[in-house]
Parts: sequence; C-alpha cells; structure tokens
Amino acid sequence: MFRRIGRAFKEAWWGIRHHFAMVSSTAITITITLVILSVLILLIANVNQITHDVEEEIQIFVKIDKDVEEKDIEALKSRVSKIAGVADVVYSDADSELSYFIEHYGEAGEIFEIYRKDNPLSRAFIISVSTGYSISEVSKQIEIIEGIAEVNFGGATIEGFVNLLNGIREVGSIFILFLATLAIVLIHNTIKITIDSRKEEIGIMRLVGATNSYIRVPLVLEGIFIGIMGSIIPCLLTIFGYRFLYEKMNGQLVSGILKLIDVFPFTLYVSGIVLAVGVLVGWIGSWLSASYSLRWKR
Amino acid sequence: MIVLENVSKIYKNGTKALNDFSLEIEDGEFVYVIGETGSGKSTLIKLLNGEEIPTKGRVLVNGINVGRLRFGKVPLYRRKIGVVFQDYQLLKKKTTFDNIAFALEVINKPKNEVRARVKEVLEIIGMSNEFNSYPTQLSGGQQQRVVIGRAIANKPAILICDEPTGNLDPRHSKEIIELLEKINKSGTTIIVVTHDDVLVDTYRKRTILLDNGSIISDNPEGGYSHV
Repeated sequence: MFRRIGRAFKEAWWGIRHHFAMVSSTAITITITLVILSVLILLIANVNQITHDVEEEIQIFVKIDKDVEEKDIEALKSRVSKIAGVADVVYSDADSELSYFIEHYGEAGEIFEIYRKDNPLSRAFIISVSTGYSISEVSKQIEIIEGIAEVNFGGATIEGFVNLLNGIREVGSIFILFLATLAIVLIHNTIKITIDSRKEEIGIMRLVGATNSYIRVPLVLEGIFIGIMGSIIPCLLTIFGYRFLYEKMNGQLVSGILKLIDVFPFTLYVSGIVLAVGVLVGWIGSWLSASYSLRWKR
Repeated sequence: MIVLENVSKIYKNGTKALNDFSLEIEDGEFVYVIGETGSGKSTLIKLLNGEEIPTKGRVLVNGINVGRLRFGKVPLYRRKIGVVFQDYQLLKKKTTFDNIAFALEVINKPKNEVRARVKEVLEIIGMSNEFNSYPTQLSGGQQQRVVIGRAIANKPAILICDEPTGNLDPRHSKEIIELLEKINKSGTTIIVVTHDDVLVDTYRKRTILLDNGSIISDNPEGGYSHV
C-alpha cells in the first residue's frame, strides 16, 4: 500500500519536473484565478456581513390609528405578527414614544415634557423583519390592515442599498464559477500533455494488465499538486493582503456602521476555501483528462 | 484452451474484419497465423487480448468469455496473456532488468518476488549478462528478447506474438523462434502472427491461413508452401 502511494507521488513529481514550463503556466493561471476568487470571497463575505448588519438595523415603524381602542391593540398586534416575514412586534404606547423622542434629542428634548399630559404622538408597533424578506413588501401588507395609520421604514434608499449588495454577491458567484471552469480546462490540458508524453509507458502498463486506477492515480495527484502550487500565493495574499487593508481602513467601510469582518479567523477560513478550491480544480481537471484518455479503448 | 465460436467482427466504420470465424487452440500448442494484410490477423489478436469485443459469437480463453468481460476486469484478464509486438515497445530510460520488472511492478508484485522472477526470466531469454543495458545498447534481436521476457514475466498461460521477427534479420529471427519454442515447451500456448514464410517453413507448427476474415486452411503439419 505504502509502496503504491510512494510510486504515485514519485510519478506525479516526475510529471511536474518534466513539463515544468507547462505546469508553471497552469499554476500561474490558477494563481490568478484563485486571487480573484479570494478577493470575491472576501468581498462577498463582507457584503453579507454588511447586508446582515443593515437588515438587522432596519425596523418598520407602524403608527396605530388613534381610533383603535386600547383593548383592541392586542388583537391588532396578533394580526401584524401573522404576516409572513414579520420576526418580532414590539408595542410602544404614546407615552413611551414621547419618552423615546425626548431621549433622542437629549437635553434639548426636555422641552417636549410639556406634552406629557396632552400627548400628540401615536401609539406604535416597532417591527423587525426576518432575513430574506422584502421590507417594502412586508410594509405594504401591514399598511392595508385596518387600524394602521402609517407605515414607515428607511425607505427605498436602504432597500436599494441591500439590493445592490445582493447584486454584487450574485454577479461575483457567477464570475467565480466561470473562473473555476477555466482553471479546470487548463489543468485538463496540462495533464493531457503528461499523458501524451507517457503514452508509450501507459500503453505498456495496459498491455501487461495494470488497472486504470493504477495509471490514473499519479496523473490525478499531479493535477492536485498543480492546484496546491497555484493556491500558495492566493492564500498568503488573502491573509496578509486583507490584514493590510483592514488596518488601513481601521476595520470599517465608509462609516462605523459598516464594519469589516475581523482578520482572524476569517482569513484562515478563506485561505482554507481557496486551497480547497485549488485542490478540487486540480483533481477534477486531471480526473477528467485521465479518464478521457484511458477510456479510448478497453 | 482458446475457443472462438462463430465470431464476426465489424468495426464502427463498417469494415468487416472477421466473418463467422471459428477456431480452437489447445493448451500448450504452438500455432502460426498467417495471411495478407487486412485478412483479420490483428483483429484476432485484439479479440484475444480483450481490446475489441466481437460483434457476434464468443471468444473463450481458458473458460473466460473475453467479449463479456467488464471494463474493470480486462486488466486482470490481461495478466494471464502475454503480448509481443513487432516494434519492441521498450521503455528507453529503463534497463533490461527494469523493463522486465516493470510488468510485475505495475501489477503490485512484492519487490523480492519481482527481483527473483526477473532473474529467472533473464536466464530464460539468455540476457543475464545484459541486465543493466539500456534498449539503445541492445541489438534488435536482444530488444525483442527483452520484450518477450516482459511478456512472460507474469507467467501467462498464452503468449501472443504479432510479427515478432518482422524487424529482424534471419539469424535473430531464428533465435527468437527458438526462444518461443523453449517457452512453449514449458507449457505456454504460443500464437505467432507472421508474414515470414521462411520461418514458417523451417520451424513447422500448426499453421492457420486467414483471408478476408475467414480461415482458408488450418494445417497441423505446418509450412507456408503447404497452405
């Protein structure tokens, strides 16, 4: 068993040494692919984090009609809670609303204490929306309930921002798939060259009864090695490059609300993904190439 | 024992290589297969080697229906068949010893077993002194001996030789046939596909003449001039 593994490693290494120029150019292309992949993962993960933070921050403020009697509030709250996408409903009476208003304006807000006896503010529900639901859609459904006077949330600006972030995420994912496919094709071609240069040897192996797996394993290993070679620089860039940017930007994007993900362990996870993709791309490319070449006859 | 029962082989491009072909070869026989180019000789080898599947009929080798072998079982079957081609097909970067050992290494034989068997084979093929030579340092006849050595390394029951003397002068051809006779005497069935009429006439063995994918004659007495 160990002899067999040793042989496979030796032959894979042979392939790399004998086609070093081709292996290098493939590894460089994989490096470029994986650097882009890493950048996209870092970007998408941060976009996800920011989207999540923004969505967490967004709450729908629902003013209750003045005609709604106190005893009907609970039933109204129940109706609002039943709407799909509503995660949480907190009732705030007019007095609480005034207190919040005064608090919000700090010392200057104390002037509004005079309204404590004749409070002009409405009672309200403060609603949190579950992730994945459109805030405007939920708002529209709440708006039509009888007893609701007004529905308010951050408006189109916030939702537009969230949509933009989602768009970046989706386009990035498609781009990653495209690049991974390209890398697989490149590995496929490199391994094909190894197979062509060892055609005679492989032919003899088949003639004397070597199994396909015996022939295939070193070729697949070679592909995996190329994948690993191509992953080294992207992994280092992921860790040190992101750390550099994080420090330069003080861990935040634009303002303190949009916080970047901490360097560790985040970059280690991303490096792990990049390495895994490198290995996977190498494995798939070489497996396809080896299988195709070994399939041509019995 | 080799049995071909009403075998026909039509390639995808429509070429009819074998036509309702039946043949029996007993264990330990030495058989020449002769015929013009395109008579079906190569197809016969491919069918016996499991490289091609018959379009019709059965190819039975020691009870194994070769045409029905599953893809994964073909390599295991090939370990029981030795094949020698006209072009020597030796690995140029390996010595005589390593070229023969290669056939055993790729089927995962233990190292000590490989060493012992290669020494035996070198004795059989008369190449013990050239164990450390590379193919380029050997004559054509010697290279063909190494190829035969590699083919018999795993002690196959059947040895199929496709034009084994095609690239050799008469003296080396004689040496190769004598080597094949020696291997045959140890019980291995030998099938030699050849164009070499001198050889067939000199070393008389059962001779099968093919033409257009059919057997024209099957002469147990042998000899090119008789067929």
